[in-house]
Amino acid sequence: MAPWFLRGLRRGVVTTRYPARRDSSADDLPTPPRFRAGEMTHEIAERLAAVCPSQALRRDGGVLVYDVGACTACGRCEEAAPGVAAPGGQFELAVTRRADLVKRIPLRGEASS
Amino acid sequence: MSPLQVLAGAAIAWAAAGAAGLAAGRTRAGVRVTCALSGLGGAAALCGGTWSLISADSRLVTVGGSKIVGSLQLQVTSLAGVFIALLGLVAVAIAAYVPRYHEPAPGTSLYLGAYNLALLASLAVLAAGGMVTFLVAWETMAVASYLIVLRRPRRDDVAAGAFWFLALSEIGFVLIVAAFVILATKTGSTALPVMAARAHLVPGAWRDAVYLLALAGFGFKAGLVPLHVWLPEAHPVAPADGSALLSGLIVKLGVYGIALFAFRLVPGLPAWAGLVTMALGAVSAAVGILYAMSERDLKRFLAFSTVENIGIIVLAFGAAMLFGAYHQPDLWAFLLLAGLYQAVNHGTYKTLLFLEAGVVEHTTDTRDMDALGGLVHRLRRTAVITFVGTLGIAALPPLNGFVSEWLIFQGLFQGFRTGSHLIGILIVLAAATLGLTSGLAIYAFVRAYGIPFLGMPRTRRAAAAHEAGQPVAGAALLAVACAALAVGAPVVLAALDRAIHTLTGVQLRPVLLPGKLTVIPAHTGFSGFSPTYLAAFLVAVTAVPVLIYLAGRPRAATRTVPVWDGGIVAFKPRMQYSAMTFSAPTRVTFDALYQPSVSLHRASDDPAGISGPVHYETRTTPIFRRHLYQPVIRAVEWFADVLRPIQSGDVNLYLFYVFATVLVAYLLGAL
Amino acid sequence: MSTSNDAGDTARAADELRRRVARQFRRSLHIRTLDTGSCAACEQEIRLLTAPHYDLHRLGFFFTPAPRHADLLMVTGPAVRAMDVAARKTYDAIPDPKIVVATGACALGGVYQPDLFVHGAVDKVLPVDVWIPGCPPSPLALLHGLLVAVDRLAAKAAQLSFTVTGETR
Repeated sequence: MAPWFLRGLRRGVVTTRYPARRDSSADDLPTPPRFRAGEMTHEIAERLAAVCPSQALRRDGGVLVYDVGACTACGRCEEAAPGVAAPGGQFELAVTRRADLVKRIPLRGEASS
Repeated sequence: MSPLQVLAGAAIAWAAAGAAGLAAGRTRAGVRVTCALSGLGGAAALCGGTWSLISADSRLVTVGGSKIVGSLQLQVTSLAGVFIALLGLVAVAIAAYVPRYHEPAPGTSLYLGAYNLALLASLAVLAAGGMVTFLVAWETMAVASYLIVLRRPRRDDVAAGAFWFLALSEIGFVLIVAAFVILATKTGSTALPVMAARAHLVPGAWRDAVYLLALAGFGFKAGLVPLHVWLPEAHPVAPADGSALLSGLIVKLGVYGIALFAFRLVPGLPAWAGLVTMALGAVSAAVGILYAMSERDLKRFLAFSTVENIGIIVLAFGAAMLFGAYHQPDLWAFLLLAGLYQAVNHGTYKTLLFLEAGVVEHTTDTRDMDALGGLVHRLRRTAVITFVGTLGIAALPPLNGFVSEWLIFQGLFQGFRTGSHLIGILIVLAAATLGLTSGLAIYAFVRAYGIPFLGMPRTRRAAAAHEAGQPVAGAALLAVACAALAVGAPVVLAALDRAIHTLTGVQLRPVLLPGKLTVIPAHTGFSGFSPTYLAAFLVAVTAVPVLIYLAGRPRAATRTVPVWDGGIVAFKPRMQYSAMTFSAPTRVTFDALYQPSVSLHRASDDPAGISGPVHYETRTTPIFRRHLYQPVIRAVEWFADVLRPIQSGDVNLYLFYVFATVLVAYLLGAL
Repeated sequence: MSTSNDAGDTARAADELRRRVARQFRRSLHIRTLDTGSCAACEQEIRLLTAPHYDLHRLGFFFTPAPRHADLLMVTGPAVRAMDVAARKTYDAIPDPKIVVATGACALGGVYQPDLFVHGAVDKVLPVDVWIPGCPPSPLALLHGLLVAVDRLAAKAAQLSFTVTGETR
């Protein structure tokens, strides 16, 4: 008996059932962050915008403009503001309109400049 | 009125054409008159040949009776009728081609005279009823063909090519003379029909010797490997219509000679003779197409393709002889029929291809495939006509090459009917070789059509070619003939069957052509097909998508974009396949035959530095010339060196020779 | 009629047209990939799609190198200017109707900003229909993106919230 045949019988089908069923490997993927809007101050927003290497975060007036499409899930914003930014967990992010990926998060407090 | 009288008319027309050519060949009007007469002779030959094909052998006619010159013995047989009809067709096509191809120049009158003399002599060879007539006509044909090849005698390559042609033609002639003389001695007559009738009187060993001499002698003319060496030398240097005549007709005279000896003069040969013939044919076919694959010169390529086709014809003849030796008269006659049909087809499309190669050479000043490209846009009519010829020679349905090769295959596949396992296996091996040859022929002709005609022009000369004033009618006539020979195959086969019946006494017709349009190879129940229906079917199948496209065109939007080239910014013609790279896989697979030698020179050996130009050259070894002909040539030269002391230049020594000879003759006479 | 309604109608009509085109390829799609200067991480994820674990063939998707046989053009990389001619030639060589998918953060405009050498985003060079974010997008994200492209799954990022409390605009 060929060794791969027995191995195959033991292990079963390895193909994922996605999209019919969840694939457990999705849990370990690096994903774009989610933000605590309640704690997002102007100052934190400026810091996050400066630290993002991909220009995904930008402060525009009283809003943090967050381009999910440009995010590389590098994690620097989570390092810079650990309580505010956390891994988002969403990987099904494909869109048919580019604007759907640009999120605007309202900032708390007054502008410092 | 008899066929012989029609052919006499053809002969007179050609003689007149030759005279007109010699007299007035330097003017354009003179060339036109000559060609008109030549074409008239061709038409007469075509009619006479077809007529003699379907009627019985004519009786022997003796013309002249002078004691000094001797007499001409003429007889038009059905077998010869096949080749005479082909001669007529080729003559008509070339006559339509020559006026626009040849510029009136000092050499043209001699050329036209020699050309028409060659036609006349070929007719005489085919219509010869006696040994002496045959041999005289044969030699005249050979010398006239030599003059045709030697159109531009001041050029070295032309002189060398013509010399190869003449030298091998003469060696073959010696062997043919030997064969005829032995046969005449043993049968006691020099008239061919008498020889044929008394064939059974010849003892076995002499009969075999006669056949082998004839096979070798006619093999030199036909171009069987290894006697083919003159073909690639002579064809490129001859003018296009000269090459067309050579390949279309002159090599067929060699085939006629082999058929004459094998089926008429010394029939009933033992099985090994058929085996040798079949093996020679198979080897010629394979070697011919393999050498063709490595040729960049269009005409050398076509010359090797001729070697391949002659191999196929001789293979069919050999298999026929084998079946005859094993008491299978139906297959004996059938393979002879298939071989003759293949000969006619080859004459048609090879002549066409050589004529069109001439047009290409004329308009682009080169025969090198790697310097051409894109000619389908520049030379549209030539491209279409060449395509028909290419389909024919590559044996693709529905054209004539396919039908004749199919017939040969079907004959070979019935090798089991011989009853001998060994012979059956050998016949199947021959069929396998034929299969290899056919596959390689398709590969070779895709290359030969695709590289010069399709794609982009590789040089400025190819881009500047234009078709105005180039000859079209001759080649177009042959293209129509190719299609007619295919679609009308049942008619052609019925006519050939009459010739076979006259020659062999076997009546193939009831089985071969049961209905009007189907062809059955020799034995019912084995296989069969209808060339006419196949042609109609293929045309319909191709037409349906075209009609759908045309019907849907007004509504469907089309977007025209350039050909996908991989997204390269600037696609250069040099980035296309070249002829040699396209055929490189065969050079790798069959390197035992090619024995390539590679020379590679770099300007500097420094791998880290700038190396400069690299010169790469690869050559295939001409194994037949090197291992067969060069030793013979060296031996002859050595022998001549040995004999040189005899010619000392001293008059006294020569007088001594005379004295010694007289003394010896006197002594011998006294004894 | 207000202009915003017109804009909304046009957008809805455009979307409906796109979906009708996409539905032609529901279960048989031939994909041609195009690399306009990526780091090849996206290519590695794309290649993994043919491996047994993800197996895009079971969904009816196939890769083809010939643009003439392709239905969908999958573009990675930030649209380097040197690839302008090749990208345009590839796009033109694909018969209509076709779908263009920009894959990866580079292709969507992140990482590289427009300068002398790059356009920065693929939609500056070619008309893009579907955008797949990620760096690189995992094979699961790619499968999701392809299924959105052929209208077998609905794009949901518009409805997703990227704030913990749900406040986004």
